[in-house]
Amino acid sequence: MANISTAARFQGAVSPDTSLKSALHRHYLRNQRWGFMWALWTAILWGAWYVPGTALWSEFPYVNIAADQQSLRLAATAVMTWIHAITVFLFLLLWNAVLGKVKDYGRTMVRFKTISKWYALASLCGGPLAIFGSYMAMGFIGPVFAAISSLFYPVIGAVIARLWYKEKISRRAAIGMCIIIFGGMIIYGPGLFGEMHASNPNAWLGYLGGIMSAIGWGTEGAVAARAMDVSDPDVGIHCRFSFEILFWGILILPALALFTELPIAELIMNTITHSKAMLWILLAAACHAYCYTAFYKSFSLIGVGRGEAIGNLYAVFALIFIAAFTLQFPQWYFVLGLIFTVLGSFVMFSESAESVANLRDVDAPGAH
Amino acid sequence: MKIHQKGYLLITLSRSGSLWDYELIKRALHEYGESGAFREKTLNIALDELAAAGLVSRIEEKLEADGNHSRLRFRYKISDFGVSRMVDTGLLLP
Repeated sequence: MANISTAARFQGAVSPDTSLKSALHRHYLRNQRWGFMWALWTAILWGAWYVPGTALWSEFPYVNIAADQQSLRLAATAVMTWIHAITVFLFLLLWNAVLGKVKDYGRTMVRFKTISKWYALASLCGGPLAIFGSYMAMGFIGPVFAAISSLFYPVIGAVIARLWYKEKISRRAAIGMCIIIFGGMIIYGPGLFGEMHASNPNAWLGYLGGIMSAIGWGTEGAVAARAMDVSDPDVGIHCRFSFEILFWGILILPALALFTELPIAELIMNTITHSKAMLWILLAAACHAYCYTAFYKSFSLIGVGRGEAIGNLYAVFALIFIAAFTLQFPQWYFVLGLIFTVLGSFVMFSESAESVANLRDVDAPGAH
Repeated sequence: MKIHQKGYLLITLSRSGSLWDYELIKRALHEYGESGAFREKTLNIALDELAAAGLVSRIEEKLEADGNHSRLRFRYKISDFGVSRMVDTGLLLP
């Protein structure tokens, strides 16, 4: 093994200090690029997920549920979310088997009291709280309101991460985040006027749902990052979905089946025996599994605030994928929103790689 | 059951004071009976994540010749924040 002086000779006239400095810069830049690339994949796959996720409602048994049957719709959502979570779990098992991390998954899951409990909490925030809230917002006000309220989740995530474990949010990152949210509002905002009706007596349930979804997804990132400090992100997302399966499968669905008249068992049987419904669930789960994997991996390299803000670009990709598959083209103001979201992403990416290399405002004596 | 790999990296670093990445990775590969460039890269990424999160500090760096290329090496130690996170997560007794 040779040290820096030998290395410097390979590079001719370049001084050892300069070559070390440039190697350090390249190292930080590579990590920053990987972090943003994972966050971008989150947005792409999240956007793609809307196609099979929406198509599922057009298949038996879900297509027969009328829009005004709110409780049945919510029960159907719980059933499809549970089956979806099981399928996501299988895709993640495949992912971790290829990466050789299945044993590490077991080692992390068993440390419930100290580590995996955070993933359990993250799954509660991202699953029942955020998804249920989002469906409430959709059901009681409309899908546009649901999409807009979700856009604010990076702010919640960044604030919690800042207060809880001192994640650094630079001015540039905050400005980029605001521009991306503004771009998302331009994309969905004009559609909101068609949804808001002053006469709707249950509108407060929709507003509550919107707040739940923003808090749920924002909190999920911050809570999961707490466990990812000491565990692997690929393993972490696997733990998170394991707990989501348990919450729906052991608590929520049995409670709905026991204490209500809702046909939970029938919905489950009708879903798993109907190949078209299962095909859409399979496609949605493939998108969701790797979307979430990319999401968690981005947190550990660029932080929760930046990862979630870039993840917000799903607003753009969802409309692009929907246009590609249904030929329903978005309105002209989509282009304006697209410009803002891309601009916001570039503002965030223009931060120095060295600044992103240290995500926390913690005293580290001797640290560089 | 063995401890998960990121936990092992943290515990080994806290017991050793400070270590170069290749020393730490060599110990981890031996502990888990693993080998190969892919596993090595996975552990290097884990160290990058720990450093980004502020749990470990890079106290020294150097370039090493590796064939026709030079490789960047880091010497790591646990930070105060890392110690407190290890205590929180049961990896270190208070």
